[in-house]
Amino acid sequence: MGFSFHRPETIDAAIAFARDHGEAARFIAGGTDLIIQINRRRLAPRHLISLAGLGLDTIVETETGYMIGAMATHDAVVTYPGFQKQLIALTEASAVIGGRQVRNIATVGGNIVNASPAADLVPVLLALEATVELRGSAGVRSLPLDRFLVERGRTDRRSDEILTAVRFDKPPAASATSFLKAGRRKAMEISVICVAAHLVHNGKARIAIGAAASRTMRMPEAEALVEKQGAGAFRAAGRIAAERTTPIDDVRSSARYRKLLVATLVERALAACADRIAKGGP
Amino acid sequence: MTRHALDLLINGESHDVMVEPHWSLLRVLRGELGMTGTKENCLEAECGVCTVLLDGKAVNSCILLAEQCSGHSIVTIEGLGDPEHLHPLQAAFIEHGAVQCGYCIPGMILTAKSFLDECRGHIPSEAEVREALSGTLCRCTGYQKIVDAVIAAARQLNSWPEEAKRTS
Amino acid sequence: MSSHQHRVAGKRLNRLDGIGKVTGKHVYAADFALPGMLFGKILRSTQAHARIARLDVSKARALPGVRTILTAGEVPQIRFGTAIKDRTMLADGEVRFRGEAIAAVAATSLEIAEAAVRSIEIEYEPLPAVFDPEIAMTPDAPLVHSDWNSYEALPVFAREGNISGRSSIGDGDIERGFAEAYRIYEHRFTTQHVHPGYTEPRAAVASWDGNGDVIVWTNTQLPFDMKNMLAEVLDLPASKVRVIVPGIGGGFGGKLRVGVEHYAAWLARKSRRPVKLMTTSEEELTDAYPRQPTVVTLKTGVTSDGRLLARQGRVVIDCGAYANSGPATVAIALQVLAGPYRTPHLAFEGVAVYTNKGATGSFRAPAGPMANFAVESQMDLIADDLGIDPLELRLRNVYREGDKGPAGEALASVSIEECLTKAAAAIGWNERKPGAGRGKGIACSWWLTTGGSSGVYVRINPDGTVTLVSGAVELGSGALTGAAQILAEELAVDLADINVTDVDTHSCPYDYGAQGSRTAFSVGNACIAAARDLKRQIFEIVAAQWNVPADDMRLADKSVISGERRLSLAEVAALSQRAGGGLISHGTAIQPMPAFDPNRVKHHPLPAWTSHSYHAHAVDLSVDRVTGEVSINRYVVAQDVGYAINPTYIEGQIEGGVAQGIGQTLSEEIVYEDGRVLNANLTDYKMPTMMDMPRIECILIEKPSVNGPYGAKGVGEPPCIQPPAAIANAIAVASGVRVQSLPITAEKIALPRHGDGE
Repeated sequence: MGFSFHRPETIDAAIAFARDHGEAARFIAGGTDLIIQINRRRLAPRHLISLAGLGLDTIVETETGYMIGAMATHDAVVTYPGFQKQLIALTEASAVIGGRQVRNIATVGGNIVNASPAADLVPVLLALEATVELRGSAGVRSLPLDRFLVERGRTDRRSDEILTAVRFDKPPAASATSFLKAGRRKAMEISVICVAAHLVHNGKARIAIGAAASRTMRMPEAEALVEKQGAGAFRAAGRIAAERTTPIDDVRSSARYRKLLVATLVERALAACADRIAKGGP
Repeated sequence: MTRHALDLLINGESHDVMVEPHWSLLRVLRGELGMTGTKENCLEAECGVCTVLLDGKAVNSCILLAEQCSGHSIVTIEGLGDPEHLHPLQAAFIEHGAVQCGYCIPGMILTAKSFLDECRGHIPSEAEVREALSGTLCRCTGYQKIVDAVIAAARQLNSWPEEAKRTS
Repeated sequence: MSSHQHRVAGKRLNRLDGIGKVTGKHVYAADFALPGMLFGKILRSTQAHARIARLDVSKARALPGVRTILTAGEVPQIRFGTAIKDRTMLADGEVRFRGEAIAAVAATSLEIAEAAVRSIEIEYEPLPAVFDPEIAMTPDAPLVHSDWNSYEALPVFAREGNISGRSSIGDGDIERGFAEAYRIYEHRFTTQHVHPGYTEPRAAVASWDGNGDVIVWTNTQLPFDMKNMLAEVLDLPASKVRVIVPGIGGGFGGKLRVGVEHYAAWLARKSRRPVKLMTTSEEELTDAYPRQPTVVTLKTGVTSDGRLLARQGRVVIDCGAYANSGPATVAIALQVLAGPYRTPHLAFEGVAVYTNKGATGSFRAPAGPMANFAVESQMDLIADDLGIDPLELRLRNVYREGDKGPAGEALASVSIEECLTKAAAAIGWNERKPGAGRGKGIACSWWLTTGGSSGVYVRINPDGTVTLVSGAVELGSGALTGAAQILAEELAVDLADINVTDVDTHSCPYDYGAQGSRTAFSVGNACIAAARDLKRQIFEIVAAQWNVPADDMRLADKSVISGERRLSLAEVAALSQRAGGGLISHGTAIQPMPAFDPNRVKHHPLPAWTSHSYHAHAVDLSVDRVTGEVSINRYVVAQDVGYAINPTYIEGQIEGGVAQGIGQTLSEEIVYEDGRVLNANLTDYKMPTMMDMPRIECILIEKPSVNGPYGAKGVGEPPCIQPPAAIANAIAVASGVRVQSLPITAEKIALPRHGDGE
């Protein structure tokens, strides 16, 4: 179980160390998932490279959008003033990841790179059509989050690449987001199903679903239906989404119940968005 | 694995410990420093009895590496108050019958302290307290008297901030 | 609430051990350490039923830092157990459940011990396994214990093959009863494994001294039972075993029996160093003492106006691979199933069965929630069918003062009617369905106050303080504070004047243990007895001083008073110490066993209950129309506590017990699949968080018991009995869905209504 712990002073130094040690080294952000995996002996890196202190933890508003640094904690997202209106789903999702103690340490970047299909923040970022920025020995690149996620536990990240930030555009004023989660208890839950929706008035509809397939999924057919038919199609959109998901039976839930939840929560998330648009805010 | 020296700032005092890099803060507190006020249970950030304050915020010490805590300020239950000068939270927990077996209580009190510090004078509602403390489990009390104690402590801290500063 | 004029007892006073607990100074067994201590870890079986074909510990022995390894061959294979001596410390060549201990390692660090365990090589020859108790009890099922007949067992239990115990209670003529019934109902209910969920793992440190005595510091609820059990397993006279409980972080019945103490003691003996073991969450959820799962079938015949005529039922309890308290629990289930109702014709049978799953045990109110879920769910089903209000149906049938219980024992201090009517009034019973998706449910029960003896030493010190020496463990309920309040009342001192000493079997008088809702009751009674004797001693001394008869003296205000004369207790104690060895007395207590009709019971270890308590729960909840998610709006408990020694801590027992009950009802389950636990971690074993719990409204009813201190009754266990039925009944009203298996998950409510997203 032993490893060395490294505190590189620059991002480049971190990348260089990772390049030199390959699969024997892992980056550590908050560590709330990584350390548990190491303790359970599922991972055995020989080196941990800390990403703390590299300036990756800011949340910045630009003219056209937002940049969330990969090391921003979930608590920082929950309390960020700019995310309390149209983008409130970001706080709704971040606020239900683990308990407060976890949210004070666990990071946005960690949540994404972990690529758990049940990750709570990922559906919201997908619904916002976020892009991720990676920096590695081959340089900097950006790609849509939807392409970055591959399947459970796997992303497109190379072992010497650091996820540095996630970016998305500012939604228009007449728009809303919402996030809903189902679990067996009301806190400290890994989602049985989670749903994020983003609706623009007379515009686009984006729906993303977690814990219903081997990765977080967008629902293009359901989105198209809503864009075409509006509020009257919310229930049908839910049904289509349920049909398109491939949930599993596990100790948390049966696949059948997960499909029921998908249908219901998609409908409700869309209705919540419509309601928020009508009221001018959450 | 070789050990190396790590300087940890705990309850305002500097502690020089020899650690292996994979040791959790909890392990260092309980095992190396004999500070058993912080408790051990699930070791997977699911129960909260290991909660300490890191730069004033509640965190699970069971999955934080001691290495990650170097350069930060750590507060454990031992640093909150003592039998002659209880912190208002500690006094309120006793007054309201919020303590039964007591094993979750150090973690619960620190989770509450982190929350009340963030409240900055706002008296939280019951729902707000429950949401903020939901990461720490208690099996004895059903939580009700804990919630009452936290709100009572918030009121006390709000009315007599000077006195509270002396003990917090 | 109460009309008594007590000064200390009955008051909401702060508990005696609170300051240590809020400052982190209170030392629990999990915190305890000794210099030079080794750390122990256990190798556990990965097979549900198998012979151990090969066990090779050589690689483990060779690891630097490993000091001792024990396998079954290196320790005497002594069988231990409560009802049946069926278990050995390490598997005796055959493993009977996945997770069973096979070898124990002690090393200089926990990590080395864990690495050593991982390096042990083992090969198994699988044996046929059985996981379903209803199959296990059939004649052709594979035997969990092929040598069951050679095991020693308490003679009261009837055993055969996989059946570890059979009990029955009966009265009247069951066939005649059904023949006369207007209508007959038959239902089946199932309940699941749940874990007591204490936040402090089981832990023990053992150390042997120069005389060949072993000291074990542990978080056990029963130090004297543990002492005897360890003496057996270590093959020692009991006088050479000393058990000390530094502090315990919850028990709920899961820390009654041996956990890791025997490993610690044996490893310490062989390594000649102190050894500490502590369980992990994974071990707690695979090899501990969870509540037994049950299958309950209940057939009830009623008159047209809803009076119970005949009741026939069977409780099947799944003990797992070792019987532990299964046979006794299934017997107690029969009384829960019967009451608190008058039933002329009764025929109940309980069967405890071995399966190849983890052993089980007595979790708070053993058998209570399981049997009550069945009987109280069925009462509502009957009420709905007959068109009678469920509260009214119950009131027509409940026990009244002077009735006889199922074993023919006389019932005194019966308060069930008051509990039901008060709970119903508080929840607003006349509006059972306040809105769409919302409903109210009610459930009632009765319970016992467990007997067994308690002794205390009480000493009044020359500084005026009082020392209370008790062998009873303070689990957290506040029972020792309550007993101290009674003692303070009797001696006319303040609670703050009382010091309770640590629990150490060497120096404390015997106590039957912190179990069965008995501690405050029994220790309180022992304190009253000790105080009575102390008063006699005090009055003798002062009578000699003042030349006044004892009848003219009384205790008040920390003093002896007679007319205008006053002498402080401190001074009397000083006098006694100088001249007579000091003011000290031994008080003991035991409840008398009530008379019962032995013809009504067979193989029943606890046929007649004592100091019965009565209680009713009422709940108002909402069910999401589609997802089935349950939200509890209000929860009311009306509990007859006899006398509220300290209302704050009694409320604490109710609030905490209901929380465990809500967990069992809605979210908790140790999930087994072919003998393997699928959720052996706290991520997926879901206990209620602060956001899952409603406020509990407590109505404390005081109908004094005959035997309890100031009329108190046991209070700790009852609150977890009724939540499953009360909630199931409310869910049925709110959603139209009746669920007869626990836990009642949202999924079980939603799918029958909505299929695939319709």
